Amino acid sequence: MELTVNGETYEAKEAESVAALLEEMGIGGRAVVVVLNDEVVPASSRSARGLREGDRVDLFRLVGGG
Amino acid sequence: MERQGKAQQGELRDEWIVGGHRFSSRLLMGTGKFENAETMVGAVLASGAQIVTVALRRIGRSPREDDMLGPLGELKGITLMPNTSGARNASEAIRAARLGRELCGSPFVKVEIHPNPHHLMPDPIETFEAARVLAADRFVVMPYMPADPVLAKRLEDVGCASLMPLGSAIGSGNGLATAGMLRLILRDARIPVIVDAGLRSPSEAAAALEMGCDAVLVNSAVAASGDPVAMAAAFAQAVEAGRNAYRAGLMPRGGGAAVATSPLTSFLSVEDS
Repeated sequence: MELTVNGETYEAKEAESVAALLEEMGIGGRAVVVVLNDEVVPASSRSARGLREGDRVDLFRLVGGG
Repeated sequence: MERQGKAQQGELRDEWIVGGHRFSSRLLMGTGKFENAETMVGAVLASGAQIVTVALRRIGRSPREDDMLGPLGELKGITLMPNTSGARNASEAIRAARLGRELCGSPFVKVEIHPNPHHLMPDPIETFEAARVLAADRFVVMPYMPADPVLAKRLEDVGCASLMPLGSAIGSGNGLATAGMLRLILRDARIPVIVDAGLRSPSEAAAALEMGCDAVLVNSAVAASGDPVAMAAAFAQAVEAGRNAYRAGLMPRGGGAAVATSPLTSFLSVEDS
């Protein structure tokens, strides 16, 4: 399934849900915020939230800043 | 009666309140530019800061494993304040603020919109618009702003929790170049005033507190110093000294002439009775 992750094409192998996508990308345990087609997906609903061909996923994390 | 007692207790502890949250430390710390997470966490601890700024970025294609901020989340008594750095206008800042709230679980946001990478001066119009929308959305809005008393009043009127005027350009180390304007802001502000950006030395932080500022926010001054942990501790001492001096009340300025502190008669002459 082809997704756009952070602006780049991403071929998801098996990821059916947002949670599964994070696992597949190796960032399952990290503090990230997920934006699916311009809508924030709360951490509590990542497992339930399914992905579809062509979805746009944006992932953000905290970094050092002043 | 009990309420008065609590207020007095707060006064004794010299707490300050921003957006309904009480803090005792008047030093806020940024987390950028540190060489590694260990130094950053050490500096935050040494500073005694209770409000710590962080930024938000997209995750790269191959996410690096070094998580600078992981250890911060485990520290007790620290409120994370995500900033909106990287936003070029109000709508980008509003979006960043909402993502930051989701990630940090904190209503605090440092609204920071500086479209020009050369001087990084905050855009007053976009900052005002973002602050207005976010305050209405129940964020604790802390705007990084030009040291402009008119804008300060407008930001206060739309519900900002504090004002964060710059001392001088971000990372410049030019100190309190805006001192005159800061005094005008302080004169009329009914919400906390925090000097954000430009400080280089602890004495400048002390001067800001002596002037009546409620707090200061530093990052480069600590992170780019020779020993960030020791410098963070030095800033903490300076902020405390400056605040205590403000509370004590500085002596009036003389008119330019000296005023002796010891008797001026020859020490061999007889003491006046």
